[in-house]
Amino acid sequence: MTDKILLLPIFLPLIAGLLVLVAPKGMRGIKEGVTLLATALNLTLAVVLFKQNFTLSLPWAGFGLDLVFRLYHFSAFILLATAGFGILIALYCCSFMREKKYLNQFYSYLLISIAFVNGAVLADHLVMMLFFWEGLLLTLFGMIAIGRPGAFKSAIKAFIIVGIADVCLMIGIALTGHLAQTLVISKIDLPLDILGSIAFLFLMVGAIAKAGSMPFHSWIPDAAVDAPLPFMAFLPAALEKLLGIYFLARISLDMFALTPGSWISTVLMVVGGATIILAVMMALIQKDYKRLLSYHAISQVGYMILGIGTAVPAGIVGGIFHMINHAMYKSGLFLSGGSVEKQTGTTDLEKLGGLAKKMPLTFICFFVTAASISGVPPFNGFFSKELVYDGALERGMIFYVVALLGSFFTAASFLKLGHAAYFGKLSKQNENVKEAPWTILVPMITIASLCIFFGVYNYWPLTRLIEPVLGEARLEGHHFGGFHVNMFLVVMTLVVLAAAVINHWFGIKKGGSGIKASDHIHYAPGLHPIYDRAEKRFFDPYDIGLNFMDLVSKIGCACDKAVDWIYNVFSVNVSLSLSDRIRRWHNGNYSTYLIWAMAGVIIAVTYLMSMR
Amino acid sequence: MNHNILLLSSIFVPTLGSFILPLAGRLSMRLRNALALIFIATPLVCSLALLSSAFTGAPASVNQPLVLGFNFVFLADGLAAFMAFVSSLISTVVVFYSFGYISHYENQNEYYTMVVLFLGAMMGLVYSANLIWLYLFWEITAVASWRLIGFFREKVYVVRADKAFLVTAFGAFAMLIGFVMIYSQTGSFDLFTIKQALGVNALSVAAVGLILLGILSKSATLPFHTWLPDAGVAPSPVTALLHAAVLVKIGVYVFARLFIANFSLEAFWHVVVPVVAAVSMLVSASAALVETDLKRLIAYSTVSQIGFIFFGLSIGNPVAVAGGLLYIFMHGLAKGGLFLCAGIIEKNTKTKDITQMGGLITAMPITAISFLFCAFSVMGIPPFGGFFSKYLVFAGGIQSGHWWITTVFLFGAFVTILYLFRAFNLVFLGEPKIKNVKEGSVTMLISVALLAGFSLLAGIWISSSSAIVQKIVAQATGVNL
Repeated sequence: MTDKILLLPIFLPLIAGLLVLVAPKGMRGIKEGVTLLATALNLTLAVVLFKQNFTLSLPWAGFGLDLVFRLYHFSAFILLATAGFGILIALYCCSFMREKKYLNQFYSYLLISIAFVNGAVLADHLVMMLFFWEGLLLTLFGMIAIGRPGAFKSAIKAFIIVGIADVCLMIGIALTGHLAQTLVISKIDLPLDILGSIAFLFLMVGAIAKAGSMPFHSWIPDAAVDAPLPFMAFLPAALEKLLGIYFLARISLDMFALTPGSWISTVLMVVGGATIILAVMMALIQKDYKRLLSYHAISQVGYMILGIGTAVPAGIVGGIFHMINHAMYKSGLFLSGGSVEKQTGTTDLEKLGGLAKKMPLTFICFFVTAASISGVPPFNGFFSKELVYDGALERGMIFYVVALLGSFFTAASFLKLGHAAYFGKLSKQNENVKEAPWTILVPMITIASLCIFFGVYNYWPLTRLIEPVLGEARLEGHHFGGFHVNMFLVVMTLVVLAAAVINHWFGIKKGGSGIKASDHIHYAPGLHPIYDRAEKRFFDPYDIGLNFMDLVSKIGCACDKAVDWIYNVFSVNVSLSLSDRIRRWHNGNYSTYLIWAMAGVIIAVTYLMSMR
Repeated sequence: MNHNILLLSSIFVPTLGSFILPLAGRLSMRLRNALALIFIATPLVCSLALLSSAFTGAPASVNQPLVLGFNFVFLADGLAAFMAFVSSLISTVVVFYSFGYISHYENQNEYYTMVVLFLGAMMGLVYSANLIWLYLFWEITAVASWRLIGFFREKVYVVRADKAFLVTAFGAFAMLIGFVMIYSQTGSFDLFTIKQALGVNALSVAAVGLILLGILSKSATLPFHTWLPDAGVAPSPVTALLHAAVLVKIGVYVFARLFIANFSLEAFWHVVVPVVAAVSMLVSASAALVETDLKRLIAYSTVSQIGFIFFGLSIGNPVAVAGGLLYIFMHGLAKGGLFLCAGIIEKNTKTKDITQMGGLITAMPITAISFLFCAFSVMGIPPFGGFFSKYLVFAGGIQSGHWWITTVFLFGAFVTILYLFRAFNLVFLGEPKIKNVKEGSVTMLISVALLAGFSLLAGIWISSSSAIVQKIVAQATGVNL
């Protein structure tokens, strides 16, 4: 095998994607076939490349901008995960997207996204990574835009938010390259002094924005409603999290030595903690299947950022493990939502209920993935969360409490969601609902099985996939496979889960049905006005930013108008009045002209005399 | 010898040929159009050939002494050939587009004459290695653009054309005084002789300041920028030619020609000029966020992007210079495309007010996608070409150590994304407000799709354009990147 094989994971999906894009209308079977084939080949390739090490360097744009590829355990791991999600989502789309418009665009964007993610992951050069990373904006934009009519607005919002973060990343990269005198990632080793910290912050903004953390989150709930559902399972739930956290791990582990004492570590933990708690509070009160999930897609990023931000081995391992676990269960949850949407035609929880009997397999998949996200043992989410708790507790009680509180609300909201969608009374229009077709079930079942596998046999992913990322020196002799967690943490987790169940029971007693199980929190005194404002987007950083820009642009525009006034009014008036004055001196009187001429001669002569 | 003929023909075929066009127009419209395209395409082909030979051995040059030290000097080094290639490439597309756009208006002979004359003067300016010749061609472009802006002859339009002419001519006179001061300092107008006479000495501050007045007014930088949005009353292909691709780039080109390739500036200019560029960029970007006239909006965007180019060229770092030069190319392609799209929209909806539009994406999908592609390139989104130029400018800015100015431009990059999407949103999305809108004619669509496609290809095949820019920087500054 030559090192040129590293070009394949980029070009194979890219060419397939372009082929699908230009394929003539109507050839649906061929488009699906090409997509499935390309994703299958990509998966094979990722499996073959797994455990291999390659580097490849090609000339590119000059100015030290080269194409540098590096395949090693971490990038091979992300490559494999991307390929896995790629083929599952492609299979899922075969029946889900069947009646949808713009099918060729969707498949094409899906494949090109895979190509770009592969490119960004394999890149060992910051600008090359940025090229693919920022290129994802285009497919993100396209995939949201082809959703329901009017989705363009959400697409633009997503583009602007992520685009602004990417410009910050660009500055961070330029600064890092300047400080390190190289742009090759594996050669960069910078201290976190003042400039180093600034560079880190800019890179961090890019990374966490891609992962969908606060304050760069607000496009995700909007896109959840507007975009085609597989998009949600594919980009915001899986690939963007993988990519964002992958890069965050690389900057904090490889490029900069993040230590527990540094203020950057505290910044990361605060961002993580705030994201966990604020987003999950919003998730709790949602009444739409997809919107509820989208807020969890934001909230869970908080755990990963918190974990990596702790800068202690348990936390980092937990954060990265949570990244892959989250990609699985969140993707699975969105797919279950899509299954419900496909079979019933709605995701509004008011109109759903009692689906467990009609769609048992979907329900089982939902149950497994929901238990994973809530951190119920022995599913995978439990183990990664325990590790994050371990790290957080080591750094400070407050972070641990926030993370635990987040777990409580997560469990509560999934009890509510499961209750409202799958139990309770079956509504009339859903009486003839059938189980979803196999192309939808297979991806869901695969993901749910993996959630169980990664939980029960967590030894394998932890020791084979994640611990090598840190390396022996960073691990400080710790090993995290198996059931090595602190018993205090386990007991606390179980207490919190029990509390969530009690809370749910209390909520049903008070509200009367599953969907109203969170109303006692929603309408609690003190929280109610805040919730109202949040629902009206008072706190949306995007809207706040736009209002700010409105003000700035008005000031700038006033300056512009002032300059224009000088040309259009001031200078015209001055020259008119000046010429008016001078004209009056031309009174036709010879003696006056003679005096002017004499005066001129005198001035000229005096000047010439003085020159001597 | 062969290359000298190429050099001369790229200047004199369009300048002299432009006067044949009205005669040809009397005979046949088709003949005139074909001739105009040939006259415009000649410099394109010539400059492409010159560009390939510019870096091998001695660049093509013509040197014919005339009376009183005004020698007849043209030089086709990398910088000149690159600039000539960029402007003639875009001009060729614009003339092709004009076949569809201008065919329903009167005074077509005048239109083609002026456009071809304009490009010829541009070629002369680009290849001049003598300040007086440079000034001469500079003023010919001003006259041609004055006539083109007032092409539709309404009273307001003529006043706007006068404004554009007065502002740029004022700058040009200031620049001429600066040139005379250089002459009194060194005894020559010939760039090569001046360079030798100066040695390690810098030019006097007053001369540099006066020349900068000319450069800033021609490149529409604050406080001399307001003529550019006002000139949006011109026919759309003209705005594309003047605002986006060619006229406004004269200033930045002369900056590069004088202060990068030939003379060195004193250190404080490397702060003063970027600060002026930053203020100009911010003010005009703000105006673009508020503006409701589509062509004015894009014109303000040009002013703002010119700020980025000046920033790159003037910060005093070779990487930033390379970024600035690449920016000229990428921005010319993308902004030219945006103006041509605006022309299609304006022609087919009979309005320029974006608040009156909406939902046009269904009526004119090709225009919409071309607009979006060009907008992506201006925003600097990969794989479009604008990404690389923006990155290099930022990287150079950071390497030069001017943190604050770079931060201001970072903010400017945010605003760029905002105002372009605001325009796209209002024009193409939402509820259609105008009924029965048609897509543009075939030649117009081919033109916009070409420019959008070039913007994409320039990013994908970045290695070729960046290699050229690298060689130009090496030739001009002696720094090998």
